[in-house]
Amino acid sequence: MQDCADNNPVPAAAGYRRPPEVVMRLARMGSFHQTRLSFMRTLLRRLKSEDWKFKRNLWAINEQGFGRAVYTVYGPERSYSLVAFSHDLPDDMRSDRVIATAWDATFALYDGIPSGTDLDRLEQNVPKQEAGRISDSELSLSRANRSVRLWQHVIDSLSHGKQPDRDQLEAVGYLMRTTAVYGSGKFGAADRLTIAQRPELSGPFQAELLSVWLTRAFSIDLVEHIASARGGEQAVTIDPELRRRIGVGNSTGLGMAPFLINHPALLNNWMMAREEAIARVRSLSQADPMAIDEFKQHFEHARFNVSQWHSQHPIQIEKLKALTSDLEQMAGYIGSESLSDDHPWDRFYRWAEDNLSLEGQEQLASLLLEPYAELVDELTQCMDADEHLSFFVDGAMPLARLREIIEKQCEWALKVDYDRPENCARFWYTSAEKLEPRVGERLQESGAEYELPLGVGCDIKQLHVALQAGSDGPTTAEFLLAHPEHRHTARRVQNLAACPYAEIQDNLIAADMLPIDILRCKLSFFGATKFDPRSDRWVRICMYQDAPFPHELLAAAP
Amino acid sequence: MSYNLTLAETESYLRKAARACGLDWGIAEEAGKASRWLAAFNLPGAETMLTHLQNLKGKEYRSFIPDCGAQPWQASGGLLCPIITGAALADRSAQMLKGMEFKLGSTAYPLLLAATVGQAARCHQTVFTTTWAGVRVSCFENGLSIEGNRDDLLLAEVDAVSCYRDDLSTPQQLPSTLAYVIDSKIFKCIDELAFQIYVPATEESRAGAGAGLTDND
Repeated sequence: MQDCADNNPVPAAAGYRRPPEVVMRLARMGSFHQTRLSFMRTLLRRLKSEDWKFKRNLWAINEQGFGRAVYTVYGPERSYSLVAFSHDLPDDMRSDRVIATAWDATFALYDGIPSGTDLDRLEQNVPKQEAGRISDSELSLSRANRSVRLWQHVIDSLSHGKQPDRDQLEAVGYLMRTTAVYGSGKFGAADRLTIAQRPELSGPFQAELLSVWLTRAFSIDLVEHIASARGGEQAVTIDPELRRRIGVGNSTGLGMAPFLINHPALLNNWMMAREEAIARVRSLSQADPMAIDEFKQHFEHARFNVSQWHSQHPIQIEKLKALTSDLEQMAGYIGSESLSDDHPWDRFYRWAEDNLSLEGQEQLASLLLEPYAELVDELTQCMDADEHLSFFVDGAMPLARLREIIEKQCEWALKVDYDRPENCARFWYTSAEKLEPRVGERLQESGAEYELPLGVGCDIKQLHVALQAGSDGPTTAEFLLAHPEHRHTARRVQNLAACPYAEIQDNLIAADMLPIDILRCKLSFFGATKFDPRSDRWVRICMYQDAPFPHELLAAAP
Repeated sequence: MSYNLTLAETESYLRKAARACGLDWGIAEEAGKASRWLAAFNLPGAETMLTHLQNLKGKEYRSFIPDCGAQPWQASGGLLCPIITGAALADRSAQMLKGMEFKLGSTAYPLLLAATVGQAARCHQTVFTTTWAGVRVSCFENGLSIEGNRDDLLLAEVDAVSCYRDDLSTPQQLPSTLAYVIDSKIFKCIDELAFQIYVPATEESRAGAGAGLTDND
């Protein structure tokens, strides 16, 4: 973030930046929407601006739709290939759990262009879960299932020469739903260091999201292929405009939630970039007519998308009701208030704070960025982090300073009484059965002795108590030698001095904590839409809906 | 049989293994980082850490920590833990920057100590050198130099270690691997140790995870 602050073209923005105590609350983070800084959009902007090329290099799929395919994008220096395997999966084996053992399709993102030998090796490993190993030639590993409700309908329609039903298609939004997309060294994949110095992949999750973008193309090619095999000459392909409405789905659970807590410096940089972008727009004294027009177009598009956003979960149903009402109110504001007055965006945002739910406020915050590419897009360069630096414990820091950081920046942690059952009701652990993080009920389940250090607020308060007891010497180094149990938390607290948006300012072990709020925050940074919680800890989303396809965005490779 | 362990996996497994052996999370994180750092230079960080952790398991933390007031530093149990002591030295890296040299008494696996202290080199953009027996290991911001007798690198126990800031300008080695090849049997031991902090499923825990829904929709 330092570079962006140094080059800040809008010094006045600092006065408009929302403070961490407003932003870093789960209820608000759980109401985030995608923005133009989201990682999917960053990826596609780069591919376009750098004139990447595209080619489907292999299509060895039989008439039933099973086989292998390779999709390659060619950049100025390097190429990357999605290797896709489509399998014959009986319905009773289709599960949305990450710990499933079989999938309709499995994928790896290959670093370069794979040989036939590579494809054979990957076919032996990619379709397996824990038992499979990929190599440092692969940047990600993922699996996907078909959306049964849409898959058959689309194939039936196309094979009979008809377009699929638009309402049905938009209600689901995707033909395939991925489970986890693993990168960064998991299951033997290339370590993040492999790509950390490559400009095209150094930003957060760019390799994983490239894989997902190509997966979307594969899913549609596959239904068209099967429909063509079935329908012969009468079969048609999907109308290009309708095609755009098909994204790729994802089912995500608790496994993803600890990421934001385990990467505080990274979380800070994501948040800081987003907040700085919102502040820059709010600080503008005038909005020119073109910007206002562009805002209105995006506003109408957002309204349409919300009308297409369905959920059966009681929490999200209420949130969607509120958001729909918020959008109506915003439409009224846009119709009656002049957006040409002094500081129009700031006035609009402050009105939203007073009148709208968190869903609506965050929807507006996202929309405000849309007309201002030149003002905010550069902030995407500040969204990765050198986490090694935040690992360093400053042993020379006086304990008084450590206490001061806690008292100034962690009031949210200190004010909670963690002895009350509802405030320590949960614990985070890794499940021996699932090999994934889970949340347990402290009073009902065993295993709290293996608790992961994710109860940050409680840990900070315990550190503060120990510091107040204070006869452990004047520096952090001496204190931590006597109290190694506080080393992890002292590291986090010290990090807060430079990274004020690094910590979620809510109790992550409270009885009423909703893991889906953490998931939604992270997924909104990815660029996901249509959040559809399936429980308080499990969410389905849509990615790349309305985005261009590889053959539309990129020229064909020779 | 060998197994390719990525650097991310090396860090994650050894962090969990260290936690399973009773180290607090903050120290266990140091163990993970040091193991990863050594693996990146194709040094047997994971294997050495495993052996040290197995020795540590079930023993009292306080018997391994340094008495920093003593000269040289000593542990009450007789042998300094390289992770705990390495972290204590990294925490005092500001003093090393000012020219202070730290002297240690009996220390287990000094290579692990060198790697743990070495984590501070990058933050300070400097070089920290650790010497023992006939070998000298210098950790750079993003590199490593080893001088002297490499046979001493993996000594399980040494009588004296010293640690100081160095003025070297160029490392002999940059990180050379992103996937460390480890003996499968040793990896199995690490995996089993790490697995000890995983919580077995119960009826209650199974009830909460996932949507519990079919994906046939």
